[in-house]
Amino acid sequence: MASLVDMQNVSHAFGKLRSDLILDKINLSINEHEFVGVVGPSGCGKSTLLRIIIGLTKPTDGAVYYRGERVEDICKRMSMVFQTFALFPWLTIFENIELGLQGKPFSKSEKRGRVLKTIEFMGLNGFEEAYPRELARGMKQRVGLARGLIPDPELILMDEPFSSLDALTATHLREEVLDLWLDPSVAPEAVIMVTHNVEEAVYMADKIVIVTSKPGKIAKELEVTLPRPRDPRSNELYKIVDEITGLIA
Amino acid sequence: MIGLLEVLEDFKGRVDVAKVADDLILELDDLLPAVDAAELLSYIKVDSGDLILTETGREFLSKGPKARKKLLNKNISNLESFKKIINFVRNQENCEVSKEELLDSLKGEVTDFDAESDFSWIIEWGRHSLLLKYDSDNDTIRA
Repeated sequence: MASLVDMQNVSHAFGKLRSDLILDKINLSINEHEFVGVVGPSGCGKSTLLRIIIGLTKPTDGAVYYRGERVEDICKRMSMVFQTFALFPWLTIFENIELGLQGKPFSKSEKRGRVLKTIEFMGLNGFEEAYPRELARGMKQRVGLARGLIPDPELILMDEPFSSLDALTATHLREEVLDLWLDPSVAPEAVIMVTHNVEEAVYMADKIVIVTSKPGKIAKELEVTLPRPRDPRSNELYKIVDEITGLIA
Repeated sequence: MIGLLEVLEDFKGRVDVAKVADDLILELDDLLPAVDAAELLSYIKVDSGDLILTETGREFLSKGPKARKKLLNKNISNLESFKKIINFVRNQENCEVSKEELLDSLKGEVTDFDAESDFSWIIEWGRHSLLLKYDSDNDTIRA
């Protein structure tokens, strides 16, 4: 499996004198076709980790490589999905999704075609002219996903994507994300998901990275080899959840 | 609602509603709207506190997003309450009404009428099933 992302000795500190160390010498790879879950206590730098991978934040030390090339700016082969959806309230659903194509060399009508196709694909038709405030949370996150998928990213980064949703909606959207990732004809190819929900991570990921806090370091990487589709209530799954929770606590 | 159906499928099609609430760490009250919706559409049956996935529910789950939309369109357009609403809108000029006109037409029909919450429910289901369009900028509902 070729590696998509390589984080090498990445450290990051905040503050004027760079005194607040958030991440300490992180070495992490994301491989092709991989679903990586990142778990750890609140405030351990998990979100910062994602921002550094995609190029939103430049690490104070170390570097990130994407297919061997150093990430200096926002990487165009990646997309991000946020916990609180990050939709622009003054734009319709259509317009919010269209934003995902910003900077792409498509004509207006080509963009329109792609947006409509994505809307249909994500089950959002009927809601094109709606504004985010008119949508239930699950639908809002679906728009966030649509916007993230429309530029055909190789890697999708998700920051607590389901934690603002009720349990039923989260259950449903998790399945949709898994279906998208498993479908080879559709982006994304690989996923990295930050979550504080260990069960969710074990249910979805191939590899789990456990980050401990202050400063954030990788405590352990665990392969989850449970066959898919996984039973969210199986003993094998719970055993792994227990092992991970034990390492975080 | 779809999440509820998926959970039911995980439990092999039949489970005590209290167990679902417990398992998902939800209050029963939070579950009930999904239960009501699924029952209304005949995707589940409720029997002595147990939720049972029906054949229609299983069929719905087995389909992809496009086919689900078609099923929703069929199932929702068959609901008495929706038939009335769709017919009302279609009988107006340009098949168009304002939010106020729609709410006025419903006041007489529905007991315990809560304008805002009923309106958002109607628009949400209308949109999901592609039976209604709502342009909030121009305050027009079209069928």
